[in-house]
Amino acid sequence: MLRGRLLSVISARQMAMFGPEFKEPHFRKSELEELQKTGEISKIGHIPFKAAPSAATVSPLYDPLLEKFTNYVMRKGEKQLARDLMAKTLQSVKRIQVQKYNAAQTEEEKAEIEINAMKIFHKAVENCKPLLTLTPVKKGGATYQVPINITAEKASFTSMNWLIEAAKSPPKDARFYNKLAHELINAAAGTGKVIKRKQELHKQCEANRAYAHYRWG
Amino acid sequence: MLSSSKFIFFVKTANTYNKLVPNFTQLFSTNAAPAAVQSTVKAKRTSENNPTNHTDDHVGLFYTVPDSVQRQLFSTGGLPKSFAANIKTFTECSFMVRKPAVDLIQRLNATDFSRPPVRHVLYGQPGCGKSIILAHLLHYALVNKFVIIHVPWTWNWFRRDWTEVAYNSKDRRFVDLPVLSAQWLKHFLLQNGTYIDALQLRTSQDYVWSQREQTPAGSPLSALINHGINRVKFAGDCVAALLQELKLACNEDKCKAFVAIDGFNALVNDYETRLKTEDKVKVRTRMVTLSRSFRQVVQQDWKNAAVLLTVDQLAASYRTLDSHWPIHLLGREGFETIDPFIPISVTEYSDLELNSALDYYEDRMWLQRTEGRQDLGFLSNRNPYSLMELCAGL
Repeated sequence: MLRGRLLSVISARQMAMFGPEFKEPHFRKSELEELQKTGEISKIGHIPFKAAPSAATVSPLYDPLLEKFTNYVMRKGEKQLARDLMAKTLQSVKRIQVQKYNAAQTEEEKAEIEINAMKIFHKAVENCKPLLTLTPVKKGGATYQVPINITAEKASFTSMNWLIEAAKSPPKDARFYNKLAHELINAAAGTGKVIKRKQELHKQCEANRAYAHYRWG
Repeated sequence: MLSSSKFIFFVKTANTYNKLVPNFTQLFSTNAAPAAVQSTVKAKRTSENNPTNHTDDHVGLFYTVPDSVQRQLFSTGGLPKSFAANIKTFTECSFMVRKPAVDLIQRLNATDFSRPPVRHVLYGQPGCGKSIILAHLLHYALVNKFVIIHVPWTWNWFRRDWTEVAYNSKDRRFVDLPVLSAQWLKHFLLQNGTYIDALQLRTSQDYVWSQREQTPAGSPLSALINHGINRVKFAGDCVAALLQELKLACNEDKCKAFVAIDGFNALVNDYETRLKTEDKVKVRTRMVTLSRSFRQVVQQDWKNAAVLLTVDQLAASYRTLDSHWPIHLLGREGFETIDPFIPISVTEYSDLELNSALDYYEDRMWLQRTEGRQDLGFLSNRNPYSLMELCAGL
C-alpha cells in the first residue's frame, strides 16, 4: 500500500517493473551500430535500460510491429494461438495477392500489385491511424465531445484495435484470419471498413471543432 | 514507443551472392523490416518430367507434373490440403525429387513382377513429405501403366461424425460406409477409367446384389464400378469385389497393379473413430469393410503388383499417437500382417534440399525476402511442412 502511494507520488505506473528513468532497450545490432555512428552511445552509456522483452529476438525475421499486433490479438494470454492467427493471416494475404499477381495479364498490372504480405500489413496499420480523436469534456452540465490531437502511441493502438474489431465483426462463419487478411488488403489500398471508420471520426472531429477550446478550460 | 518513423523500411540492395552458402552479413543480418527485393532467384528444376527416369542426380530438383496428370490423379484427393492450396497459388504442381522416391523408383524399375508384391512402408515425422513421395510414385505408376489402387488418406473415412454408417448385409459384425465407398469407386474410376476400359477386364463370377440386381460374369469391370456408384447401398461390397477381380486379373498377367495407401496404420489397428451406427454403437476401424478390403490387397497372395504404404501418427484420433516408428504405429498384429516389408525413412530436408526448397519458394513468390535463410532452416527444424508454413508470412 505504502509502496503504491509512494510510486503514485513519483508518478510511475503502479505495478511497473521499471521506474520512469529506465529507457527502452536497444537489443538489435543495427540499432547499436547506428547509435555508435552518431555518437549517441556515449550519452546513454550510463542510463539504466529496461530488459529486452522475452519475445524479442535479433533474427531478421523479427518484426516489432507484428509482435505488438500479435499481443493485441492475444486474449487470456494465449500467445501461441495469437501467433498462429497472425501467421495464417499473413499467409492468407499472400495467397490472395500472389493469385492476383499470377492472374494479371500485362506487366503494368503486375507492377501495381503489392505481393509482400508484411508490407501490406505495415501499410494497413499506417493508413488506419487517426489524426485526431474525441474526448468527453463536462462543461456547464453538458458533456461535449471535444476533438483533441492524438499521440503516436495512441494512434497506432487505435489503428490496430480497429483492424482487429473489424476482423471480429460478422459474418460469424468466416474465419478471423481470413477476415483480417481482407481488412489488411483493403486498408493498405485505402478502402474498407476501418478506413471508413477513421474518416467518420475525422468528420465528427471537424463537426465538433467549435468545442475545441473546451479542452483548455 | 510505436512512432511511425521507427518502421521505415530498409531497402536492401540486391546482392549477387551465392545462395547455397549464406555469407556473413546474411547470417548475422539484423535488418528489422522486410527487404523489398524483386527476387532474381530461380528455382532449381529438372526438365525430366518422367518419374521413371529420376535418379540420384535429380535429388533436390523440382519437376512439374503435367496439368492433365494432376487432374487425373489428384482432383479427388491424394495431396495434403496445404499442398493442394499451393498448386493454385504457385500455378503449377511441382514435386521435389527426394532420395526415398528415387530409391523406390529404382527398386520398382528392377522389380520382378512375377513374384508376390514387396511391401514398402514410408515412415517419418509428420510433415516430412511421405504423402508427397506417395504422390510422386503415383505419377510413376501412371506413366508405367499400372492400375492404380490408391487410398488418399485413410483417416478421412473415420474422422467425420456425420458420415453415413450402415451394417453390412452379409455380416453384421461389420459396417459399410456406403457414401465413402462410392466416393472411392469414383476416385478409382477417375484415376483408371480409360485404362481399365482399354484393358477390357471382365468379371469372373456372378455378383448377385439383390433379387433384381446382379452383375453377371463376363461383364466389364466398369459395370461393377458404376453399379457401386449408382447403388450406394452396395458400394462397400463393390469395392471388395473390384479389388478381388483386380487381383485375379493381375494373377492372370492381364495387368499390373500399384497399391498406394496413405495412413495404413488406421486400417490394421483397432482405433476409435468418431463414427456411430444408427443404434449408437461406436465404430472402430477394424469393424469397417473398407479396412478389411484394403488389408487384403496388401497380402502376398498375388503377383504383378507393387505395394507402397505410409504409416503416420496423424492417421488416428487427434493426439492419440506420439511416435512415428512403424512398430509403434502398426502394433504387433499389424506388423505381422505386412511382415516382411521394407521400411523407408522419410526425413527432414538436407542442406541441399533446404536451399532448393527456399529457392523454389522465392521463385514462386512464397518467400519474399532474401535474408534469414539460416533462421528459417533452424526454426522449421528443416521440416518441409513447417518450412512452407514459416515462409508464408515472410
